[in-house]
Amino acid sequence: MPALKRIAATRIVAQPQVLDSADVPQSSLALRFAADELFVTPPLQDETIITAHDPHAILIREGGFAGIWLPAEEAALFLARNCEWEIPNGRPAFAQGAVASIPTKLWLEDEQVLFIVPAPYAHDFAERMQD
Amino acid sequence: MRLIVDGRPISYEPGDSLLIALLRADIQPTGGGCLCLGGDCANCLATVDGVSYVRTCQTAAKPGTVVQLHHTQKYPPLPQEDEARPAVPARNLFSDVVIIGAGEAGRTAAREAEAAGKSINLLDATYGEEAIGIYPGPLVVVRTPHETLHVHAQDEIIVATGAAEILPIVPGSELAGLLTRRAAEKLAQAGLDLGRVVAIGTPPAAVDCQLAAGELLRFEGENGRLHTVITQTEAGQENRYACDTAVLNLGLHPRNALLRMGHNLPVRAVGDAALESDIPACPNEGVVCPCEGVSVADLETIWEQGFHEMELVKRATLAGTGTCQGSTCLPYLRSFLLKKGKTLQPSFTARPVTRQLTVGEVSAGTHHHATARTALDAEHRRLGAQMERSGGWWRPWSYGDPDGEYWAVREAVSLMDVSTLGKMIVSGPDALEFLERLYPTKVSTIKDGRSRYVLLLNERGYVFDDGLICKESDTRYSLTFTSGGVSHAEMWLRDWAASWQMDVHILHQTMSLGAINVTGPLTKQLLAKAGLANPPGWLAHTKAEVAGVPCHIFRLSFTGELSFELHHPAEDSVKLWRALLEWGQEFGIRPHGLHTLLRLRLEKGHIIVGQDTDFDSTPRRIHHDWAVKLEKPAFIGRHAVERTNKIPLDKLLVGLEMADGPAPMEGAVIWHDGQFAGHITSSAWSPVLHKAVMLGWLHYFDGHLPETVTIDGRSARRVPVPFYDKEAARARA
Amino acid sequence: MNEFQEKLVNFKWVEPKKTYDVIIIGGGGHGLATAYYLATRHNITNVAVLERNYIGGGNSGRNTTVIRSNYGIPEAVRFYQRSVELYQTLEDETERWIMHAQKGILWMAHGETAVRAEKARAEINTAFGAKTVFVTPKEIKEICPEVDLTGGGVWPIMGGSYHPEAATARHDRVNWALAEGAMKRGVHVHQNTAVTNLIKSGNRVIGVETTAGPMHANVVMSAVGGHVTGLAALAGLRLPIRTHPLQAFVTNHYEQKFHPIVASTSLLTYVSQTARGEMLIGAEIDRQPSYSYRSGHHFLQTCAHRAMTMLPFLRQLRILRQWTGVCDMSPDYSPIMGFTGVDGFVLTTGWGTWGFKAIPAGGEQMAQLIATGETPELIAPFALDRFAQDRTMADRGSAGTH
Repeated sequence: MPALKRIAATRIVAQPQVLDSADVPQSSLALRFAADELFVTPPLQDETIITAHDPHAILIREGGFAGIWLPAEEAALFLARNCEWEIPNGRPAFAQGAVASIPTKLWLEDEQVLFIVPAPYAHDFAERMQD
Repeated sequence: MRLIVDGRPISYEPGDSLLIALLRADIQPTGGGCLCLGGDCANCLATVDGVSYVRTCQTAAKPGTVVQLHHTQKYPPLPQEDEARPAVPARNLFSDVVIIGAGEAGRTAAREAEAAGKSINLLDATYGEEAIGIYPGPLVVVRTPHETLHVHAQDEIIVATGAAEILPIVPGSELAGLLTRRAAEKLAQAGLDLGRVVAIGTPPAAVDCQLAAGELLRFEGENGRLHTVITQTEAGQENRYACDTAVLNLGLHPRNALLRMGHNLPVRAVGDAALESDIPACPNEGVVCPCEGVSVADLETIWEQGFHEMELVKRATLAGTGTCQGSTCLPYLRSFLLKKGKTLQPSFTARPVTRQLTVGEVSAGTHHHATARTALDAEHRRLGAQMERSGGWWRPWSYGDPDGEYWAVREAVSLMDVSTLGKMIVSGPDALEFLERLYPTKVSTIKDGRSRYVLLLNERGYVFDDGLICKESDTRYSLTFTSGGVSHAEMWLRDWAASWQMDVHILHQTMSLGAINVTGPLTKQLLAKAGLANPPGWLAHTKAEVAGVPCHIFRLSFTGELSFELHHPAEDSVKLWRALLEWGQEFGIRPHGLHTLLRLRLEKGHIIVGQDTDFDSTPRRIHHDWAVKLEKPAFIGRHAVERTNKIPLDKLLVGLEMADGPAPMEGAVIWHDGQFAGHITSSAWSPVLHKAVMLGWLHYFDGHLPETVTIDGRSARRVPVPFYDKEAARARA
Repeated sequence: MNEFQEKLVNFKWVEPKKTYDVIIIGGGGHGLATAYYLATRHNITNVAVLERNYIGGGNSGRNTTVIRSNYGIPEAVRFYQRSVELYQTLEDETERWIMHAQKGILWMAHGETAVRAEKARAEINTAFGAKTVFVTPKEIKEICPEVDLTGGGVWPIMGGSYHPEAATARHDRVNWALAEGAMKRGVHVHQNTAVTNLIKSGNRVIGVETTAGPMHANVVMSAVGGHVTGLAALAGLRLPIRTHPLQAFVTNHYEQKFHPIVASTSLLTYVSQTARGEMLIGAEIDRQPSYSYRSGHHFLQTCAHRAMTMLPFLRQLRILRQWTGVCDMSPDYSPIMGFTGVDGFVLTTGWGTWGFKAIPAGGEQMAQLIATGETPELIAPFALDRFAQDRTMADRGSAGTH
């Protein structure tokens, strides 16, 4: 069965404008789950880039998501079978919605796609990838 | 190349549909009647590779295909067993425009769309792409021989499905040997010998035939086969035409079911599908609806019985409710009602599905609701746990020895995976005000580092969830909710925060945090060994490392014993769990499941929202008035609680114990003097108390709550809760 | 050839009058049944039933025809058991074939807590006159050999409750038998007659404005489905009702073989075979309130999938048709019947997913209420003012599907 691995990240809920201008390290992957929510992996080393601008921001060490990279072609085939909504065209792109009836975040690059699901559903997601 | 028909191999030519192959072998489909070869009528149905009601004219012949003709008098049998076929896959296609039908009109529409810079998907039924329904989206669902397509349109759907040919309805129209004009042309093209052909109306191209003069009167035949066409001239004279095949051209009615299905959606028809239907003359005799065997006489009878609305005629005769969904009979039903003096009726409602697909095909691409697994799921299964779905999660029900698990908690130390507990953080300048309005408790009196058990009420003053508020600072609180209730609670919080315009951040972290409850009299020894020298006091919480894992530690107790709930990053759950189990060996540690937890908390009289409460549980009815501070100016449910508090109580959640004997089942009825007095919500044998203890709803009788009742034919007594450790000395040890 | 064509029912349509003793708004099952029982039990025949479309054209003709009384609270068990019994004799009484067939219903439980719930159902049913027993997986297999006890390896069946008196009947024929029975005795039924307003005198409803002109009556009853909140608002009432779509589908016709009604409390789907041989499959209500009759694909897809999990033989059956009705849901998932606080205006509503099974008992009881001016004991718990009085009829275990 394909192995989804827990992703070490920081999840942040903060003012949208603070997230808009957050100085997240270039080397990390920052996904905007919602206007007020940002997911950064690997975990943020310096939390003050957020807290300095929004003292009420919530930052947690986030290990509750699991992910797997698939080559672009394999991902496209799986998505054609299991995704009822249109994937954005540009690359890289972030998208989220139900895939195989499980809430999923997608990070789409030219050559590969990262599938991220809540870790409690990783087992079912892996089974559905295998079908 | 051969296919198998009723156990007999027959040869066919490349490109044949099953129907053409059958006719080539001189086998008439059992439906009888006029064949259209266009997928419109239901006269060529057969069971193909185990699937009944397949239109053989729309199905390509393949080597080894197994065809069973339908019985003429009986419906096909239900399949005995599923042959474990592979699931049908779904495929999603996206474009600006979806065009259904690749005929002239469809291809023109496709060219126009492309010229306008639109992306298109053109569906071609001749390649086996049968559109079965249009749904909001807009979405076209398409059956193909191999997969189910979900074709999504960004802009519009164009129905270019053409028109169906009107079939004859006269005496003898059930005979074999009748063809529509298009059907005759297709068969001639396939090289079939149609014998002597008589044409009624415009004759088919490239078919030698005799033209019948006059109006069609009836068909005559023998052994189900046509031999004569009879027409009538205007002068009233009958003409007889001996023939093998009659070819009918009686007009067209649009294949617009998909268009009608898509009303109020961006769907339009082009070409013949957009035509108004020809309305044929109302027949005097013959079968109008071959699917359900409804004759003209049946329509006359039902009219005489007072069924005059189109929909009532349909429902009473069943005309139009069969496999072809009115494709054959609809023009004639409209014609019949017109003749009866009604205005021309619109076509009846078009509902999915038009061309048909199997239950398996339509389910393509879907899955069951996934049941969530905690980070410790594999640990539980390895320990032999019986897993139970609870609140959307897989949870250990027991590890095989409920009594052993029970005593580990009461006398030693035990673990339970409570990661499923709903968990959120609320932070912001308005955090306190927000929580004051949400919760009936006085949140401002919770001190830093303390936590409090709280109820959540809806606007009607009924309890819908419970949990903890844990104060971290004046502007930041951690909240917990029930496992099954947290999804609803999250929407509840977000909706109210938005509608009150509260300046707060909300983070739902149920899956981010694992939680292990360490409970039992030896808990402190175990935690000390795991590195926690100074555990928090009763109802306090603190952050510290346990077994090298950073934990947020809550001191509370649901089991009735000394308990610490260790919230920790989910990725560390396994490490923490294994370390505690290993270090707990010397203290007799073993994990416990839900079964044991339900019994432990019942001994303590702790309710479970959802099990012991119902839609109408006010705090007062469950003895939780203390959790509601009516002196607070505003919180959700306050008005309702104030109002209902003035109404005399009718029932109360109470503790009960049996005089002797085993625990009654949960749901058992409570009787008092032979009258219904309520029911049991929780029930268990208490090993430590040596008696059966229960919670249940007990009704008032003339303002009094009975002291003794009958359950299961045995005597039970109302008692105060908790049943066990009334002073809570053990939990607070 | 078609034995299922309606052969006996005969309607006699008449012109409307200006005044009736009773006007019933809504020519569905409950409206027609009330008229039928007014005429047959109380000899009150100066009654008009007003239907804006054709009789039985709303939810009475769109439901999935299950009759049962295995509810979760005593008041509901008693009420629906009355209906089960009235249905059993309705064919003899009306001398019309409503295709009543006793089938028995199996409610599958897929976990320990669900097993407890079904045991509890059997207990409370038995205590209040409905026959329901707990059955083991082995017994389930005997009642329904087609069932996959492993639930596709995903939803294993650990037991269930069996309610042998559960039945089905053809919805249209129930409506027609009641309509004809009422009309024969002098009741007027007016189709294509929409009520556009209520005529009031002070706090009393004294008649209705209709597309066929005004009509007056001593009592006006609402037996409307779907848009009842709008009608009640004309009387100055605010009803605690939300309307949700409910969908179902049928396969083509197959030989009679599948006897019981099979339902799952976890998968929220149920399956039966109709008298005409279609396999009928339904699910729970749509969560989103709406008056829409539009069919949905997600429903069809997921419901088909869940049904197949219990009954794998369904996989190869071809689907004939799907459709949608709307359900008026009350806050406690129980109906609302009786006086409204507005003189001259009574109502029967909140029929959620249980309206069809309640038609005879609902009609009988409302007829008695209108005839006597007093609320019958059997429906007293379902009065509208229970919400204000904090006496709701919470029936969590029975809500939601059929």
